[in-house]
Amino acid sequence: MAELLEIPFVQNALIGGVILAVLLSVLSLFIYLKNWSFINVGISHAAFGGLAVGFYLGLSPTVFGIIFAVATGLLIGYISRKGDIHEDISIGILFSMSMAFGVIVITLSPNYNTDLFTFLFGNILTISKGDIILLGGFSVFALGFIAAFFNKIMYCCYNEEVAYVSGINTPFYYYSLITIIAIATVLSVKLVGVILASAMMILPAAMANQIFWHYRKILVFSVFFSILMVVAGIFISFQYDLPSGATIVLLYSALFSISVLTKKLIGKAG
Amino acid sequence: MSPILRMENLTVKLGGRVIIENINLRINRQEIVAIVGPNGGGKTTLIKTALGLITPTEGTVEILGTTPEKAIKTGKIGYLPQKTDIPRNFPFSVLDVVLLGLVNSGLSRKEKLEKAKKYLSYVGMGGLEDHPYGRLSGGQQQRVSIARVLVSDPEIIFLDEPSTGIDVVAQESFYDFLKKLRDEKGITVVMVSHDIGVVGKFVDKVAGLNRFLHYYGHPRDFFQRHVLEKLYGTDVELIIHSPECVACEHFHSDFRK
Repeated sequence: MAELLEIPFVQNALIGGVILAVLLSVLSLFIYLKNWSFINVGISHAAFGGLAVGFYLGLSPTVFGIIFAVATGLLIGYISRKGDIHEDISIGILFSMSMAFGVIVITLSPNYNTDLFTFLFGNILTISKGDIILLGGFSVFALGFIAAFFNKIMYCCYNEEVAYVSGINTPFYYYSLITIIAIATVLSVKLVGVILASAMMILPAAMANQIFWHYRKILVFSVFFSILMVVAGIFISFQYDLPSGATIVLLYSALFSISVLTKKLIGKAG
Repeated sequence: MSPILRMENLTVKLGGRVIIENINLRINRQEIVAIVGPNGGGKTTLIKTALGLITPTEGTVEILGTTPEKAIKTGKIGYLPQKTDIPRNFPFSVLDVVLLGLVNSGLSRKEKLEKAKKYLSYVGMGGLEDHPYGRLSGGQQQRVSIARVLVSDPEIIFLDEPSTGIDVVAQESFYDFLKKLRDEKGITVVMVSHDIGVVGKFVDKVAGLNRFLHYYGHPRDFFQRHVLEKLYGTDVELIIHSPECVACEHFHSDFRK
């Protein structure tokens, strides 16, 4: 294991993985409280369309992925708030449309190769120093935003209408959070891929809430165990030549099952 | 004295359907007003429009002397939505929920804690600060929510079905508590209720709403057949339970025989 740590791309994978684990597990608290699991799945699938366009044009897939994911996220958010169409239906339509579009664009692309698989399921061997800088910079910004407005965001999670009547600018926090989630999804593509990124934003808080009832403990537990799962997942995937994203998500799922069983056996800790 | 809430020619359409129509309403300071009427009659829509959560199709709303959008910025409006709109298992302690009401206050952390604890004691929930909010009974959760509403020192509070899930004895003490708020703190209370019998005893004015505002005035004149028929239809049958209710006494003695 010590030798693995000396390999540059393993180092990159670990640094990128830990940053991502912290960012996505913090976001998972809000996704859990807002019941945004399906919105999150919708955004991650929609990102694929943008990645495909960037790939087809020979330009940055990350930039196009972000544009698609943010636009889809904001559209889903707008439809959900307006309430004319049920949000599950709008998400289902938007993400399948974006996925279908992505598949056609990728198929037409002269650059078509196995990178498609990387977009969908991740490949940590491809994490570069540039990716880490981008991810690190964005994480500092996103976590700084959340820290600065934490109480107001939590108020919006409690009840948006009540928060609005208390003078909180609820649309601003709502759309900011969706934008952060959309960008984080695209930036996690190399570690776990767009399809599995949503699992890293849903499972941590859901798992922690099986054991703890208070949000501070949920947050701390989510971050701690996400780092543990990502590091363990990276080592296991290297050791046994398994896909990193799938390995990490399976570890999360296993821990979620254990947390559910623990809750049944001893109840919530506090 | 200028009213604290004024609605003029207010009409709200949602999804192409008229929910409330041509409402004219003036609520004075330090009054307790109950908005009653059948389900789907527009009660919640009316208070959401007063709060700026719904934009009226026609007409105007003036609250605290300005538009709802400007009034909410003052922090002088409190709102307690229906119980079903508040997540029951939100991962907050009792104290955390009350502190939400002070998010925009500009107070220091220490001042916020002191004030939140004071209001928890005021609603009879002192000593339960660190208790999980999700594990309280329905009535206790309602008290904590009231503390959250009151902690920001509002001038007017809107309560949507506040007594849902509270037993009858607790309801009576809850309405007495609202009177205390009016008398001690000078707060105006506007509440939606389906329980016209109980409400009639405790409020200063009743607004009978079923798309149109069929009645607005003292509760004693509300319980007339023509008013109730307009509000609830022709087949309304009303039994009012109250300590002075002679009919109830007869009913109970007949039942015992």
